[in-house]
Amino acid sequence: MKGNIIWIVVAIFTSSLSFSLNAVAEEGVTDTEIHIGQWGPQTGPAAPWGAVARGTDAYFKMINAEGGIHGRKIVHHYFDDAYNPAKTKAGVKQLQEDVGIFAWVSGVGTAPGLAVESYLMERNIPWVSPSTGSAHWVDPPKKYLFALYPLYSGDAQVLVNYAVEKLNFKKIAITYQNDDYGKLGLVGAMKQMNRHGLKLAAEIPVNVADTDMKPHIMKLRQVKADAVLLFVTPGHVARLIGTGKAMKFEPQWMTTTTCGDFPLMMYITKGLYAGTISATFGMLNPGQVGIGNVEDVNNPTLPLMKKYYNDVFKKYAAKEERWGMTFAAGIAYAEPLVKGLQLAGRDLTREKLVKKMESINNFQGIMGRVSYKPFQADDPLCRLGQKEVFLAQATEDGKYKVLTDWIQTEYVNYE
Amino acid sequence: MILSGIAVGSFYALMGLGMVLIYKASQVPNFVQGEMALLPVFLAYMLLETYGLPWFVAFPVTLLFALLLGCFLEFAILRRAKEPNILGLIIITIGMEMILLGLVSWKFGADQRSMPFPISTYDSIAIGDLYISTLEMLTLVVALIIMLVLFLFFRFSKHGVAMKASQQNENAAKLMGIKVHRVRMVTWGISSLVGCVAGLLIAPILVEPYMMWDFMLKGFAGAVVGGMTSLPGAVLGAYIVGIVENLFGGYVSIEFKSVVAFAIIVLVLCVKPSGLFARHYVKKV
Repeated sequence: MKGNIIWIVVAIFTSSLSFSLNAVAEEGVTDTEIHIGQWGPQTGPAAPWGAVARGTDAYFKMINAEGGIHGRKIVHHYFDDAYNPAKTKAGVKQLQEDVGIFAWVSGVGTAPGLAVESYLMERNIPWVSPSTGSAHWVDPPKKYLFALYPLYSGDAQVLVNYAVEKLNFKKIAITYQNDDYGKLGLVGAMKQMNRHGLKLAAEIPVNVADTDMKPHIMKLRQVKADAVLLFVTPGHVARLIGTGKAMKFEPQWMTTTTCGDFPLMMYITKGLYAGTISATFGMLNPGQVGIGNVEDVNNPTLPLMKKYYNDVFKKYAAKEERWGMTFAAGIAYAEPLVKGLQLAGRDLTREKLVKKMESINNFQGIMGRVSYKPFQADDPLCRLGQKEVFLAQATEDGKYKVLTDWIQTEYVNYE
Repeated sequence: MILSGIAVGSFYALMGLGMVLIYKASQVPNFVQGEMALLPVFLAYMLLETYGLPWFVAFPVTLLFALLLGCFLEFAILRRAKEPNILGLIIITIGMEMILLGLVSWKFGADQRSMPFPISTYDSIAIGDLYISTLEMLTLVVALIIMLVLFLFFRFSKHGVAMKASQQNENAAKLMGIKVHRVRMVTWGISSLVGCVAGLLIAPILVEPYMMWDFMLKGFAGAVVGGMTSLPGAVLGAYIVGIVENLFGGYVSIEFKSVVAFAIIVLVLCVKPSGLFARHYVKKV
C-alpha cells in the first residue's frame, strides 16, 4: 500500500512537472521547430499572387537547408484562401488552434488581412509583412504587427513629383482601382499635386470586374492628360494601355510596385508597356545599378538576388514556377521575420521576437532599408518597415532602366 | 460611345447566342457557357505557344475540340441526369463550370498570358474622331456572319429544322422520327463552338482562367433582355447591354458602369419577363 502511494506521488509530480514545462514553452516553438503560418490565394481571380506564398516557402527551405535558425527548422504552414476573407479567417483559426503557430508572415490582400487582424492581435501573435501597402496595418499601429510594404500613397507621391519636376507635366490624371489600394494611391496623388499647386486632371475609378476600358480612355483623352497614374491590377494596366493605343491616346503611363514585374507586363501587353515608369520597392538596388543604367531581373546582378535565384528558386521552386517579382517578393516579405528570429536567439518567445524586431535598423535584404522602432501608440511609422521606393522605366526588352535612387516617402493616410 | 457599345456588344452577342441555343434545347440557363469556351481557348494557346503551330491549324483544331466538348458534356453529364428539374439542371451546369475552371487552373496555372493572333490586337481604324480596333471590327464581322449562318441553318437545313421541331414539341418530334437526344447533343456542340469563337476573339487581349466570366454574365444579361427563346432577341439584347453600359459609363457614372447590365435585367424581368423581343405566350384557361 505504502509502495503504491509513493508511485502515485511520483506520477503526480512528474505529470505536474511536465505540465508546468509545457505551460512555459512558447506556442509554435519546440526544441527543433518553429511553426510559421501564411495564407495566400492559390486559386481564384487573385491566384497570380499565389507565387508570394510559394516564394516564402522555397526561401524557408533554403534557410532550413543552411542549418535553420539557432538549431531549429522552420515549419511553414501555408494555405489557399482564394482571396476570400471568410476562408482566411477559417484557415488562420484552424491552424492557430490545431497546430499552434508561433508567428504569421506575409498574407496577400488587404481584405483577407483585415479579416484576421484582430484575431491575431488580441492573442498577441506576431504578424510580419502583410503583403499590401495599406495604411490599415499601421494606423493605428499594433504592437505585434510589423508592416513592411511601403504605402501606396508613397508610390503616388514619388510618381507625381517625377512627372511634375522632371518631366514638366501639368496635366496628370489617375485611374485607380475602386478599393483600398486605388483609393490610397488617389489620396497620395491628390495631396502631392496640391503641394505643387496643381489639381489632378481626372480621377477615374476602375472596378475589378471591368473589362471594357473605352469609357475610361475617352475621359482621359477629353482632359488631354500628359501622364496617367495607374493604380490598378496588371490585367487592367494591359487593357488600359492597349485600349489607349487603339484610341491613339498614348500619354506617359506610370504604375506602382504592384505592376513592377516588367517581363510579365511586357508579355501581357505585347510590348506596349515599354516606356512605362513604375514605382518599385526592391529586387534591385538603384544605388548599385546606377541611375540611367539597366538591370535584368531575370539575370540579376545584385548579389543577394543572385543567391536567391540560385539557392531558392532553382533548388526549391516547382518546375512550372516563374522567376519574377511576385515570387521574389515572397522571399523579401519573409526576410525581416528571419532577421528577427535570428536576433531573438535560442531562447525564443513572442515577446523577445517583438523586442528584437523593434531593434531592426536599416536592415536591407532585396527590398529597401527596413527599420522599426519601439512601440508608440501614436506613431504609425514605428511599425512601417520600409518607407522608400525608387523609379524605374521598362525598356523595349523588359529590363529595368533605373531613373532615381531610393526616395523617402512621407506618411499619408486616408484622410 | 455607341460605337464602343456595339463593339463590346458583339462579344456579349456571341456568348448570348450560345446560351440561347442551349436554353432552347435543354430549357436551362447554361452557366458553363464561359468555360466551354475557356478550355478550348487554353488549348489554342497551348497549340500556338507550346507546339508552335500556325493559327490556321490551331484555330480549326480548337473549334473542332469545342464542338466535341459541347457534345460530350450533353451526352456524358446532362443526359444522365434522372428526371431533373430546372434547379437540378442549373446546379449541374454550375458544377461543370467549376470542374472545367478547376481543370484549366490546375493545368495552366493562374498567370495572365497573351495569345498570339493573326491580326494586331491594338491597331485601330479611325472614322473621324472615332476609333474602332481591328480586333473589334473583326469581332463585329464574325458575329454578323455567325448570326447569318445560324439563321440559314435553322431556316433551311434539315438538321436545323429538326432542332426547331425538337425545341417546340419534343414528343411530336420523336413521333416524326427525329432523334431528339442527338439533336440536343449537336445543339450543345454548336453552342460551344459559338462560345469558343467569342473566346478566341477575347483571348488576344488577355488569357487567364477567369477571362470568360464577365462576358458570360453580360451575354446572359443580353439574352435575358432580348428573350431567352429568341436568337435575334439575344443578339439585340446583347447590343443594348453593350451600348447602355458604355453610355452610362461615359455620361452618368463610370463607377457603376459594370453593374448597369444587371439593373437592366431586373427592369426587363419586372416589365416584360419573357424579354423584349421574344414572343410572350399566355396560357388561357
